[in-house]
Amino acid sequence: MLVLTRRAGESIMIGSEIVVTVLESRGDQVRVGIEAPRRVQIHRAEVYREIERENAAAIASADRASALLGRRKPDLKRDPQSRPSNSAGEGPGEDEA
Amino acid sequence: MSDTEVETATEQILRFDDGIPGFPEAREFVLGDLDEAGTFQVLQNVGNPEIALVVCSPWLLVPDYEAVLAEDDERELELTDPDDAVVFCAVTLDEAARAFHLNLLGPFVVNARTQRGRQVVLTESGHPVRHTVYLDDDDVTD
Repeated sequence: MLVLTRRAGESIMIGSEIVVTVLESRGDQVRVGIEAPRRVQIHRAEVYREIERENAAAIASADRASALLGRRKPDLKRDPQSRPSNSAGEGPGEDEA
Repeated sequence: MSDTEVETATEQILRFDDGIPGFPEAREFVLGDLDEAGTFQVLQNVGNPEIALVVCSPWLLVPDYEAVLAEDDERELELTDPDDAVVFCAVTLDEAARAFHLNLLGPFVVNARTQRGRQVVLTESGHPVRHTVYLDDDDVTD
């Protein structure tokens, strides 16, 4: 990892299009400003990692999930205030008394 | 004979130019219905069919769900009309198959007009990455 020391107000460039500016540092928090082309997605790393992990978990469970949910009728109970199911009616309603 | 045939968008290729987190090379996907009612679907990579996940519209299970896209995501997807946005969330089945989890934090958003999609991260939303839905028919939790 490249390590640079910067003061508040100073920047670093990544390539020719991405500028990261240290705006403020206070205690263990650092505020950072980022300028980048719109096509570059910017995420908090820990959130991005979470999504990565969840994607991997979803892919790992996909076979089981499709076997289970694929043959399952969409009769999952909804929240009480939810709209009624728009699935094609199949026999009498399944509402509980 | 084709009474029960389900209309799918199987032939339509959805382009995710950035790939999806963890799978940056997975850029082309197809979406096919999993059950007859179309509640659950499978999002499958064209190049590597192993990269497939079950997805579902979040609103079927979380009616008050909100997906407020960042401006950059909207722009990148050229989403000028919210009606063009198709939103679905990854489903992960838990080990015991008693529940599944919906990724409400990182939904897939596709512009139905252009067929371009992106898995967005709704950082400010407070949505969980794992919203649990029990399969017992008794319970849907928050």
